[in-house]
Amino acid sequence: MTTLHLGVLLAIAWAVLTMTFLHLKAKSYGIRKLYSKPAGDPAKGVVYAFTLGMAPWAKESVMMNLPSYGAGLAFHAGVLTALGLLPVAAFRLELPSFVLFSVRLFTLAGVVGGFVLLMKRLVNPQLRGLSCPDDFVSNILGSTFALLAFAWTLSPVAEVPWMAEAMLLLIYAPLGKIRHCLFFFTTRYHLGAFFGRRGTFPPGGRFHA
Amino acid sequence: MPELDELETRLVGLTETDIQRGLEVFRSKLKAAEASYLNSCVHCGLCADSCHYHRMDSTLENIPAHKLELISSVFKRNFTAMGRIAPGLVGAKPFNREMAKAWVDAVFGRCSLCGRCSVNCTIGIALPRIFRAARAALGTMGLVPTDLQATVDNSLKHGNNMAVTKDDWVETVQWIEEELQTETGDPGAKIPLDKQGAKVLFTVNPREPKFFPLSLLASAKVFWAAREDWTLASDNGWDLTNYGLFNCNDEQAGAITQNLVDAMERLGCQTLVIGECGHGYGAARWEGPEWLRKSYPFEVKSILELMDEYLRAGRIRLDSSKNPIPVTLHDPCNLVRHGGICEAQRRVLRQAVDSFIEMTPNREHNFCCGGGGGQLAMARYKQRRIRSGGMKAKQIRESGAKIVVAPCHNCIDQLMELNKEYKLNVQIKTVAEMVADALVLDA
Repeated sequence: MTTLHLGVLLAIAWAVLTMTFLHLKAKSYGIRKLYSKPAGDPAKGVVYAFTLGMAPWAKESVMMNLPSYGAGLAFHAGVLTALGLLPVAAFRLELPSFVLFSVRLFTLAGVVGGFVLLMKRLVNPQLRGLSCPDDFVSNILGSTFALLAFAWTLSPVAEVPWMAEAMLLLIYAPLGKIRHCLFFFTTRYHLGAFFGRRGTFPPGGRFHA
Repeated sequence: MPELDELETRLVGLTETDIQRGLEVFRSKLKAAEASYLNSCVHCGLCADSCHYHRMDSTLENIPAHKLELISSVFKRNFTAMGRIAPGLVGAKPFNREMAKAWVDAVFGRCSLCGRCSVNCTIGIALPRIFRAARAALGTMGLVPTDLQATVDNSLKHGNNMAVTKDDWVETVQWIEEELQTETGDPGAKIPLDKQGAKVLFTVNPREPKFFPLSLLASAKVFWAAREDWTLASDNGWDLTNYGLFNCNDEQAGAITQNLVDAMERLGCQTLVIGECGHGYGAARWEGPEWLRKSYPFEVKSILELMDEYLRAGRIRLDSSKNPIPVTLHDPCNLVRHGGICEAQRRVLRQAVDSFIEMTPNREHNFCCGGGGGQLAMARYKQRRIRSGGMKAKQIRESGAKIVVAPCHNCIDQLMELNKEYKLNVQIKTVAEMVADALVLDA
């Protein structure tokens, strides 16, 4: 393990500790004690929120914006694949060729997805109006991270900039909107529990008749 | 527009103390769930067209994420480290007069708290929970639109939101009882008032005695046919509405809810039955116990559930051929998406009418009619309300139905306006009215 790898490890530790702090801080707001009699099962609502409730067909917003949804999926797949590649680089592991091919495919898809989302944010006036600098910084950090991971699979020369980029990404993650990698799960949990308790989730119907 | 001037005047007169108090109330409404929501939005913008306001008027201000951002920017600035250290980077903004004005416009003027954005958010943010916290903060600062607050004040002062006097209410009930006797041919048919120990305490929207007595007659006819042991309260506790759900003042909302609880205790009833009213059901069934911080010692049901039970138990029989005109169903947000009652009204209608056509989309994905969230009580936003209702008008037209059934009197008011504005040429009725028309009466 090189000094660079140690730096990445420290950045991971920072990200994990800071995210833990953010999680605890959010939890410190307290859990609402509920007095109304439940009509449904919050647990079933949570399960639905994390499974079928995430399916494209469960959301009209996704069905109406499939290219953006696809770009988002690709972007996240690319960044997560690049993250998974970090220990491979640190421990100099050999990847089977089909895994390597998949890694290249996902990271490249991540770059393309990130670029598409960035362009959409720049070009679409409403989306631009909705954005703050953090939106652009987060996208660029994620896209570059996936791009450098892809480059590293082609040439070890890319390792230094990739590791440096990894440190930047991990240090920035809890500071900006990338924190949604934590809060996505807590938010979805709360949404599922809320609608599950009220008997709305899992639903009996669909948005089409 | 005097209302506009009044609100503007209050905004101009805001002091630093008012703003701080607003922030404190906002913070006090946040729990772990809301803290999570406020940290989650990625500004993907996919929620935009889930909102009927944006669908009918495609502006940045109508995107749910933008409305949320106005609030989360203040949250970041005041309650997060990054918002204090690098506000420009993360979009954190101070809470000041301009921001308060933007909040009023967003959460009162461009949102009916319908929650359609919640089920369409790719992350899963329950945005109305945040908007309710913002409304509560604005209320503390005296920034609730006057006419909305007046509706709440009516309930607090008179025990019902339309200031109907006890004499008027009792007289109307007695008159409807005579109508019931004529219609059923049963001189013994009663609309009981203050019947001690009745199983069911039935509550209605004051619009029924005031403007839609046939709705109350229909419910009474169904109870009569089912031989239900029921009563109305003559005093406080007959009005199911609670606009405290919309001004988001939990103390006032709790006081209005207490009228229902007191009536249940006074009359010794077992089940509180909420008439056809979306927000009334949401307020009494779901939020009431939270406002009062105690569980009810009785059951709360919608009349839709009760009618469904009657049919299942064979207590009433229906002849659908008595309702031959095609019918579609509007799903009130507080009853369906936020209330969890999705199927009972459908089971009832399928037996009550010959041709039942679903709107598309429906159930928890249904569009708000535009009248929710207290919009009907805020005259200053009328144009937006009617425009945003265009989505509902489109749904109705595409259904091809000639009768729209809406189990909510607020929705009915809005639908009647949409009917006129968009020239839909439909009849608008309650579920109980359809059931009453289809009843098979024993000889």
